Amino acid sequence: MSTEIEYTKPLPTIEPETEEYWKAAKRHELFLQRCNACGEVIHFPRVMCYRCLSEDLGWFKSTGIGSVYSFTIIHQVAHLGFESEVPYVYAIIDLDDGARMISNVVNIDPSAVEVGMRVQVTFDDVTPEISIPKFEPIS
Amino acid sequence: MSIKGKAAIVGYGETEFLKRNPGDRSNYTEYCRAAKLAIEDAGLTKDDIDGLISIYPLDEEPTWTEDLQEYLQLHPRFLDNVYRGGASGNAAILYGAAALAGGLCNNILIVAGSVMDPKRIYEFGLETGTAFERDFDSIYGPMFNNSAYAMIKRRYMHEFNATDDQFAHVVINARYHASKFPNALLKKQVTVDDVLDSRLICDPLHLFEIVMPCVGGCALVMTTAERAKDTKNSPVYLLGGGQQFDRGLWNPAYGYERSLTTSPVKLAAKYAFEMSGLGITDMDFVELYDCYTITVVISLEDIGWCEKGEGAAYVEETDLTYKGDMPLNTDGGQLGRGQPNPGIHLMHSIEAARQLMGRAGDLQVEGATFGLSNGNGGSMADQCTLIFGNEIP
Repeated sequence: MSTEIEYTKPLPTIEPETEEYWKAAKRHELFLQRCNACGEVIHFPRVMCYRCLSEDLGWFKSTGIGSVYSFTIIHQVAHLGFESEVPYVYAIIDLDDGARMISNVVNIDPSAVEVGMRVQVTFDDVTPEISIPKFEPIS
Repeated sequence: MSIKGKAAIVGYGETEFLKRNPGDRSNYTEYCRAAKLAIEDAGLTKDDIDGLISIYPLDEEPTWTEDLQEYLQLHPRFLDNVYRGGASGNAAILYGAAALAGGLCNNILIVAGSVMDPKRIYEFGLETGTAFERDFDSIYGPMFNNSAYAMIKRRYMHEFNATDDQFAHVVINARYHASKFPNALLKKQVTVDDVLDSRLICDPLHLFEIVMPCVGGCALVMTTAERAKDTKNSPVYLLGGGQQFDRGLWNPAYGYERSLTTSPVKLAAKYAFEMSGLGITDMDFVELYDCYTITVVISLEDIGWCEKGEGAAYVEETDLTYKGDMPLNTDGGQLGRGQPNPGIHLMHSIEAARQLMGRAGDLQVEGATFGLSNGNGGSMADQCTLIFGNEIP
C-alpha cells in the first residue's frame, strides 16, 4: 500500500538487527525477539540478550495484544511532522508476550484512553517499505 | 577510603539569567563570566586553579572543556568533561572531590552554562537520539523529555490516586521562593488554579509544571578540606555522594525495576547517606532537581523524606518554604528560576552552598548545618545525590 502524500515524520533506518522486525511489520505482523539461551523476550531488537549476554536470539510473532502501561496526550510537538496529528496519544504498551514498547494509541478519542486499557496492534502503512505498529482498543 | 569531608565548596558564581539571548551572550560569555565570579568569590586567582571540569553546552562538542581551558589560558593538571544529563553538575562535584581527595589537584573549577534557543533544544533532542531511539521511539512523535515525564506523572496518578491540584503545590513553592530570589526569572506567585489553567503541553503536564529553558551560567570552586580552613568563605564540605544510572536518557520505558514511579534516586541517595553517616532527618533543607513537578514528588519519596505514594499529598500538606517544616528548593529551583541547561546542573548545589555559608539573605534557613542536593538526568535515568555540611560530623 503506498501513500499519495509525502510522509514527513521520522522513519526508521533498517539495520541488520532490525531488518526482520520491519519485514514482519510490512506483512502486518509484530515480531519480537526471544533469547534461546535464557528465554527473555526482547524489544527493541538487539544483537545480544541484555539479561544473559547470549547472541543466540530468535524471532516469534507476538499476539499483538497488551495493555496501556502509561500514556500522554501530546498537544505541542517537537517534530513538525506530527503537527497535524495533535492531540495524539504517545504511550508505553505492555504486551501480553512480555515485551514493553513505545507506540501510539489510535482509532480512539485521546480523552477516552486510560491506563490499563486493553489494546491490539494495528499497522500504519506510511511508505511503500515501512509499516509502523500502533495500537487501538480491542474491538 | 571514603572522600567524606575531604573536599569543600569555597566559592560560586552565576551570571544573570535571561529568558532570551539578547545577542551579546555566548557559551563563552556564560562559562567565562561564571568562572570569574566563582574564582573571585573563593578569594583565589586564576593561577590558583589547577583542576577544571566543565559540562559542555548541548550545542558544542565534548572537546569543549579543552576549548575553554585554551580560551582562558588555564593550566590545569586535572581536566574532565562530564555529561550525565541533569546529573552532570552533581557528578562533576563528586568526581572533583575525588580528584582533590586523591591529590590530583588542589583547587578545581567546575562550570556549565547555556545560551541555547529553546526551540533548538527540542530539535537537538531529535537529532542526537541513538539509532534505536529513532527507530523505536522518535517514529511515534515524543516531545523530548516532556512526553517521558508526562507518562511518569500519569502512571503515578494512576497508582496512587494523586491529583493535579497536589502537584501544583510544587510550583507554588518554587514561585514563592523565586519571588524573593534575586536571580530568578519566574517571580510571579501562582495559585493552584493558575497552574491548572496553564495550557497542557503533554497531558497531564501543564506549562507551569515544566521548566522554562533560559540563558545563564553557573560555576563553583572546590578545594581540599586542608586548604579550605584558610579561605575567604566558610567551607561547605562534601560529606556524601552516590550515583545510579538506569533507564534510557530520553525514554523511560526500560530500566529500573520496570517501574515509572520508583526511580534510581533511591539508590543514589542511599549511597550518599551511607557515605555521610547522616540520615534524612538530619537534613535542614533539600535542593531537588525540579525539571517537572513529578520529578520532585518521586525524588522526595526516593530520598526517604516520605513513603512511596505519599509524596503528592505531602507537598500539598507541608510547608516547604525556607521557614517551614522541610525547606525545599530554597532559591526557587528551576521551576522558579528557569533552566539554563546544562548550567542548571550546578544550580542546586550552589544553593546548598549558599545556605550552608549563611549567605541566602531573605531566604536563609535558620541554623542550616546539613543539606541535600540531587541531580537528575534524562527521564529520571541518571542520578547523583550529594550531602553537604558546614561541619564534618
